[in-house]
Amino acid sequence: MFDIGYGSDGEIVYSGRLDASQCEKAQSFMDAVAEPGVLDFDKLEYISSAGLGILLKTQKRLAESGGGLKIINVNNHIHDVFHYSGFNAIFDIEAK
Amino acid sequence: MQKSFSRSLASLSSVYEFTEAALTAGRFAEAAKFPVHLATEELFVNMVEYNPETSTDIDMQIDVVDAVATITMSEYGVPEFDVTKPRDVNIDAPLDERSPGGLGLHLIQKMVDNLTYEYCDGRSTISFSKQSGHPNV
Repeated sequence: MFDIGYGSDGEIVYSGRLDASQCEKAQSFMDAVAEPGVLDFDKLEYISSAGLGILLKTQKRLAESGGGLKIINVNNHIHDVFHYSGFNAIFDIEAK
Repeated sequence: MQKSFSRSLASLSSVYEFTEAALTAGRFAEAAKFPVHLATEELFVNMVEYNPETSTDIDMQIDVVDAVATITMSEYGVPEFDVTKPRDVNIDAPLDERSPGGLGLHLIQKMVDNLTYEYCDGRSTISFSKQSGHPNV
């Protein structure tokens, strides 16, 4: 089960498992994000390369206007995925 | 444990449940499950998306022995595609030179052990293993 929505402080909250079957839902939400912001991964258990593609696409779009995404509360496993993908260099990432 | 799955992204939840059940039954360490699920999904998605010309099921087998999980996935009626070959991925590229896609097989090669590929008479068979790091009581 994957869910995405806004938190009480305007952060974008990811939760559950973001696999390839859930990407349409995530992509649709992220396509509507117009401003730089914070993604809270505290309740996100899992992400695969399909989810990485959504993050990258959004980051590239926001970078065109000089902004970007900050990703916080990243668990160790997802941090490994970011590391092996080189995402540490193109996102502002905070581990749990 | 063995099971066959329909060639569709809609099968991913069933693939996850089957994998989780097999690892749990084999007392595979919780902390080592993530890369197994990741590799399983990436391989399954590759099979679905790159072989649309076939409608055959995708077969999976999972064995856990002495804290090592071995996952085998096979499909029939597909062209040869060796998933063990190094991928042309530049993870150091700056943001403006990167594009979505192409990371799945790269991640598998980094996060699992003993990735193998065999192709014979139209059947592709991929196998990988992962050690849990804890005794399999």
